Amino acid sequence: MTGANTPPPVSSKEADARVAVDVKAFQAAGQTDLARDRFAELVTRHQRRAARIAYHYLRDAADADEAVQDAFIKAYLHIGTFREELPFEVWFTRILINGCLDRLKARRRRERWMVSPSIDPSGTERDPADYLPSRGPSPEEQVLSAERRHQLSAALSKLPERQRLIFMLSHFEGRSSREVSVMTGLNESTVRVHLFRAIRRLRSLLAGGGAKSVNEGRSSRAAR
Amino acid sequence: MRLVDTLFRSGHLSDQGLVEAWQTGNRPAHLDQCELCLDRTVELTRWLDEVRHIAVAEADAAFPPERLAAQQAQILRRLEQLDRPARLIAFPNARPAQHDVAAGTHWHRWVVAAAAAGLIVGVLTDHVTMRLADHAQQAAALRRQAAATDASRASDDDLFSVDFAARPRFEALGPIDDMTPRASQVEPIKVSSNR
Repeated sequence: MTGANTPPPVSSKEADARVAVDVKAFQAAGQTDLARDRFAELVTRHQRRAARIAYHYLRDAADADEAVQDAFIKAYLHIGTFREELPFEVWFTRILINGCLDRLKARRRRERWMVSPSIDPSGTERDPADYLPSRGPSPEEQVLSAERRHQLSAALSKLPERQRLIFMLSHFEGRSSREVSVMTGLNESTVRVHLFRAIRRLRSLLAGGGAKSVNEGRSSRAAR
Repeated sequence: MRLVDTLFRSGHLSDQGLVEAWQTGNRPAHLDQCELCLDRTVELTRWLDEVRHIAVAEADAAFPPERLAAQQAQILRRLEQLDRPARLIAFPNARPAQHDVAAGTHWHRWVVAAAAAGLIVGVLTDHVTMRLADHAQQAAALRRQAAATDASRASDDDLFSVDFAARPRFEALGPIDDMTPRASQVEPIKVSSNR
């Protein structure tokens, strides 16, 4: 069984905390060049993870790009409020999630007045990638793999935002319920319930993707 | 294994129980005894791994290393701008500029007003001059007409002269005309009747 809550190495947490403290000290001393240099280490270390979270939350690469940038800027500006007893990545992820949430709200307000470009005049939804020029025929495996990715992407998009966020943080990022609870500001049991609902919904959306309930398992066993 | 699972799932783990077991990493003892639940657990784990693999690959494809590098450079550039705010350049004082503009406008208005006034005065003067000239011509014509009438009364021969005065004048014959005495200017000779 894969442990979803495998804690990251303690050394990386300590290193993050040390860097954050240094940045804070340099800022206080007015040595902004040094503060930025040190902060760049944190950016390098957490950038990819942040991009993944923002991308899965927002489902748009450009939006995610801006959200990640804004989150790092905010973290730098407010690093004075960072408490060392909390892991930097948890603190930073909370900033990122709040930023993503603001963007989603803004997007919803915009979409209230505008037609989404991903919807054809006929009303059928199209993937933005469909508008890009084709790169030529792909091997069968690539097609199947792309189809599977497309299905999963569509299924993830259909998850309610909160469920998607919790599923992503718990599963993709390997965070424990407690960490997810701190990151999202939800209580731990709510996190567990959302995670279960997200998995159940995904499995039903991706029917045939290896999901089996108790009854299905029983019937397959009987068939054997 | 929870009691509720035993009661409502005929001794098997519920889906939620499986997810919790996967999430917490605590392997229930039931899995050692139940092949069905073990199959489901393995299947769930495999499916979740696949989902994770695909989702992470999708996100990483959207953010290749070049894009991440560009993003990092952009972050650092923005931080630098924050630390070193742009130098403020004093904006040129708006008051003298406004004064100049106002003065220009002032002179311009005076020129326009003077031109307009000159035009109006010119038109009026022209109008008045024309009217005075008309009056003078009319008065002269009336005077000539009155003189002709008096002459016609004095003598029947003066009819010729009245007609002469009334007829159109030719410029080329002007000097000759001037030299010719008018009938009205000639004193009639009175002849005494008692011979």
